[in-house]
Amino acid sequence: MLKSVWTSWRPVFTVAEMTLRQTVMDSFIIFTVLVQPLLIAVMALWMLRDKGSDIAVFVVVGSGMTGLWSSLLFVCGNSINVERWSGTLETLVGLPTPLEVIVFGKNLANVFQSLVSMVASYMLAAFLFGYPLHLAQPLLFGVSLVLTVLAFISFGLIVAPIFVMNPSVQQWQNAMEFPVYILSGFLFPIALLPGWTTPLSYLLPPYWAARALHATSSGGGSLQEVLFAWGMLLLFSLIDLLIASRLFKLMLVKARIDATLNME
Amino acid sequence: MSAIEVRNLRRVYRTTVGVLRRSVKEVVAVEDITFDVSPGELFGLLGPNGAGKTTTVKVLATLLIPTAGSASVMGHDVVSGGDEVRKRIGFIFGGERGLYWRLSGIDNLRYFGSLYHVDPDVVKQRIPYLLELVGLKGRGNERVEGYSRGMKQRLHVARTLLHDPEVLFLDEPTIGLDPVGAREFRQVIRDLQAEKKTILLTTHYMFEADALCQRVGVINHGHIVALDSPAGLKQNVQDLSVVELEMFGVPEEVIERIRRQPFVDSVAVENRDQRQVLLVHSLRGSEAVPDLMASLNDVRVGRVLVREPTLEDAYVRLVGGES
Repeated sequence: MLKSVWTSWRPVFTVAEMTLRQTVMDSFIIFTVLVQPLLIAVMALWMLRDKGSDIAVFVVVGSGMTGLWSSLLFVCGNSINVERWSGTLETLVGLPTPLEVIVFGKNLANVFQSLVSMVASYMLAAFLFGYPLHLAQPLLFGVSLVLTVLAFISFGLIVAPIFVMNPSVQQWQNAMEFPVYILSGFLFPIALLPGWTTPLSYLLPPYWAARALHATSSGGGSLQEVLFAWGMLLLFSLIDLLIASRLFKLMLVKARIDATLNME
Repeated sequence: MSAIEVRNLRRVYRTTVGVLRRSVKEVVAVEDITFDVSPGELFGLLGPNGAGKTTTVKVLATLLIPTAGSASVMGHDVVSGGDEVRKRIGFIFGGERGLYWRLSGIDNLRYFGSLYHVDPDVVKQRIPYLLELVGLKGRGNERVEGYSRGMKQRLHVARTLLHDPEVLFLDEPTIGLDPVGAREFRQVIRDLQAEKKTILLTTHYMFEADALCQRVGVINHGHIVALDSPAGLKQNVQDLSVVELEMFGVPEEVIERIRRQPFVDSVAVENRDQRQVLLVHSLRGSEAVPDLMASLNDVRVGRVLVREPTLEDAYVRLVGGES
């Protein structure tokens, strides 16, 4: 049983490993997942330096999440297009492993890489600004992080085929970055925003991820609230995976009809 | 049961043209193709550029959906049974793309081995064997970006043999290889044939098809215009002899004049550096040479050779000198 589970998941981990090997020194990815979140963390820690050390963990987790979202948008979102541009998509589509499994593995690598920014922000806050950092509920934070990773990977599986099928949507890629930082409450609570924006936040998986991570790292929320956020993350992951499965089928049929698997 | 079965295959590409007034333009790549390939057979598809060879291979490799007709591999339809087809096939499209250049050759093979669902222990055992088979022994740990074009193509071959597929599609696999590399590659194809793999090979090189294929289908304008063994195809031109005239700067009107001669079946021109070689297919053999020389007027003529027709001559006759 375990062997069969491992066998079916092995391609995912091989893809993740090879993706990390290729992108570890990629300057665009380093900027997206490390430099930009660190700049955000420095600015936020500087602006909030009079608010006390409690805010530091919030900023560290929040800036790490900005890296996660940017990575999802720019790296996971382009994960199919990149294969097409480099001429490998045709080879991948002709393999027995479904393309969505391959993209899942690529997204796993990208999301894992983004978590580095959270660790980097943590070290920055601890050593540069001298904040005493500790996680309020480390175990619950760990579970929240795993569910966040799953939710981001699943959301990335929707974004990638949409960007392939609708290049016009991809033109809005840059415009989608900061609104989600704000609507998801990465760096400040959404209670500070106008009331009409709240339903929009509820529709975003990153909002529930931010809620679970902030509550378990800063200790600001009850267990019930954390469990509810977990439930929403799982629900969104499930819905996203179902939608993604349909989108991949549609995209591949369209690409096989329009002969767009190859850029040549 | 045939290993590959193609029935009345038709494939049309649709593109939109224009900015304000957009209109759909249709290009028929494959009009109506029917053929079978038996298990263990090495079948060649020959044809000029744009004849529909690559389109046919891509349909069989499940990368394109046919507009009409059907195709199946090992009994599985390429559209409804695509998953089953993909487990059983390997394919190479000529060129350097399709590999991960930032990874080493070995990492590329590990990656694709996993995606072909090959057990990692088996992949580990097969990699040294395959690297040796394709002549990349000792180079596997280098990044692919440092490989020559020929090395990349050889890595493609290793990649496609990882899962020991039953059917192989090789689309112009020797294009761009140096003569030694191409000869080594042909030996690899012979070895695969000896292992009773079913192989569909497309190539521009007639001698390659002649030397390797058991049967050849000549494809032109999306139709199969001839389908036979290389010897059978050559029979079609047994009544002809080929006169090769090496010339320098032959005008178009002279070629037309030769083409109009009653004893000339067809004329093709090959450009070789500064020279042109006129390949004149004639029913009169060496007796045609004096008349041909008379038609040339003042054109400078080098070597003149009369020879038996080859598969290439049969091909030229079939496609009307388009290649």
